[in-house]
Amino acid sequence: MAEVRFENVTKYYGRNLAIDDLSFTGKEGEFFSILGPTGAGKSTILKMIAGIEPVTSGKIFFNDILVNNLPPHERNVSMAFETYNLYSHFSVYENIAFPLRAPKWKLNLSREEERKRVVEVASFLGIEELLDRRPQALSGGQKQRVSLARALIRKPQVYLLDEPIAHLDAKLKFLTQTLLKEFAVKYGITMIYVTHNFREALALSDRMMVLRKGKFDQIGTPEEIYYTPKVDFVGRLVGEPPMNMIDGELIKEDGKILFKAGEYFKITIKNELAKSAEKVARLEDNKLNVRLGIRCEDIKPGMQKLSENSFQLPVYAVVHEAESSVISFELENTFLHVRVGEDADFRRLKISDLLWLNFKQDRIFFYENTMKISKS
Amino acid sequence: MIKKKITNEEIGFWIVTIIVLIVVLGPLLWIYLTAFKSASDIFSGSLSKQILFTPTLENFKRLFTEYPFFASLFNTIIISVVSTILVMVISLPAAYSFARWDTGGGHLLFVTISTRMFPGVVAALPFFLLFRNIGLLDTHIGLILLHMYFNVSFATFLLYGFFKDVPVELEQAALIDGYGRIDILRRIVFPLVLPGIAITSAFCMIWSWNEFLFAFLFTRDIARPMTVLISSFWGSIEVQYGTMAAGVAIAILPILIVAWVMQRYIIRGLTFGAVKG
Repeated sequence: MAEVRFENVTKYYGRNLAIDDLSFTGKEGEFFSILGPTGAGKSTILKMIAGIEPVTSGKIFFNDILVNNLPPHERNVSMAFETYNLYSHFSVYENIAFPLRAPKWKLNLSREEERKRVVEVASFLGIEELLDRRPQALSGGQKQRVSLARALIRKPQVYLLDEPIAHLDAKLKFLTQTLLKEFAVKYGITMIYVTHNFREALALSDRMMVLRKGKFDQIGTPEEIYYTPKVDFVGRLVGEPPMNMIDGELIKEDGKILFKAGEYFKITIKNELAKSAEKVARLEDNKLNVRLGIRCEDIKPGMQKLSENSFQLPVYAVVHEAESSVISFELENTFLHVRVGEDADFRRLKISDLLWLNFKQDRIFFYENTMKISKS
Repeated sequence: MIKKKITNEEIGFWIVTIIVLIVVLGPLLWIYLTAFKSASDIFSGSLSKQILFTPTLENFKRLFTEYPFFASLFNTIIISVVSTILVMVISLPAAYSFARWDTGGGHLLFVTISTRMFPGVVAALPFFLLFRNIGLLDTHIGLILLHMYFNVSFATFLLYGFFKDVPVELEQAALIDGYGRIDILRRIVFPLVLPGIAITSAFCMIWSWNEFLFAFLFTRDIARPMTVLISSFWGSIEVQYGTMAAGVAIAILPILIVAWVMQRYIIRGLTFGAVKG
């Protein structure tokens, strides 16, 4: 097992900047996820670790050994591709056994040993009965598991998984996710896992990195990423519904600092919070503009006024989910989502009913505006 | 009883099929019938004699005894087989290099293919002078080189397409799995383009087997292949239809067999993109 370290890595595809001066460390034995939207550069990072894409500048280390100039087969990594990349002229068995037979690793397994290992990993992923088939005869989800099996069969320095369960159906996704976590814990492997699905990243990772346009916005444990996003982008990417972001201004009234967005939306904020707000606020047209972020479960709704600091908004929509409901309110340029538990009062809510809302002061964050927020 | 209606489309289909069959099989039929006819039957005016005749082997006997038929057949085999092998030896790495690394940025590939874009006769004169000076006229090597000159460009272009169809990611996956470049070529790329290699070799071989112009201009006696020998039956005084048909009947047999055997590969080659996993 190895630690993977990026030092000021930059990658250009022609003139397009894919990775921008990126430095991070995936620690030894760690399940490290890279989360980001399409085009953030996640797969590029994996390809550079594997050695199939060269870096434009910067250094990549495995355990303090510079690997920039090592070809892929000298790096001892294994990788599951998003596009599967199965060898179509081999059976599923041969596909999975292919890395074991590589002269490079000098495994020299007997036929029985090889069979044992292939069957073990195949049954682990539930594809045992497919071993004699050709990849062409498999469904997308089956191909994905074969590709995953091929990546997991060997014990390399680092496992690189690129969206390895993205094309599985929901049930299988959950099952495979559990298996992957079990596999990682059991063997204490270094895993670098790329996904665009925040749930996978939160569920599996020891630590995770949120990537945007080739730069990271935050690296941390899933708890840190979810509960204390450092940037508005992280809050919007992680969570369903995404973290509420409200653009407004800071104003002073009677020595108190207030956050105001539109006519009705006005809350007093505590002094220590105000300091953090002023730090990121920007002065535009004589206004101190700032973005307020709060998770939907940190807003308390009520039929009556809850405190001096609460305010009223008309209900825009109500969506009932299995164990909770999400009530939405329309703001000037975005929607405000509030999650409520099973409560008869809220069940009876109708559109345009007025509801009192109270923000939990210690769960409010202030951000610099780094992305466009829209109603969609 | 339910009568099946014959639709206009079906009638159209059969008419076209019959026309195609006549066009394709007519000449073949004529050759094989003529080869087994005596001279008097060949020139007989009556239609019944054209179909119902007493078969004879006299044309073949004449061909084998009076003409150097086997020598020229051997020449054809040597030239087409050797030139095809050499073409593949050159074109396989060239096509792989063009497909994988875009060697020469497309210009080199274009120049390679462009040798196929002008009439062969244009190249004939300079080659003739060159070959005369270095003593390659009427030699097997000379004709092999000429056939290579034409087939390398064609084979490179055809193989380029087949290599292009193998996703580079497959090779990357194999690199990560622990295989070196040579192993990957042998175990991944080569098996995947095998149908393409078969088709390309077949095309090169058929072209070389049937080639007439260069053979006619560059050989006299020693290296004379079958196509030139057969054409010599068409003299200024008389046309020896019988012997000519007998020669052609034998000459086209290997090509018919190759085409038949390759049929499976040719169809697989045409649908190659669809087979990919």
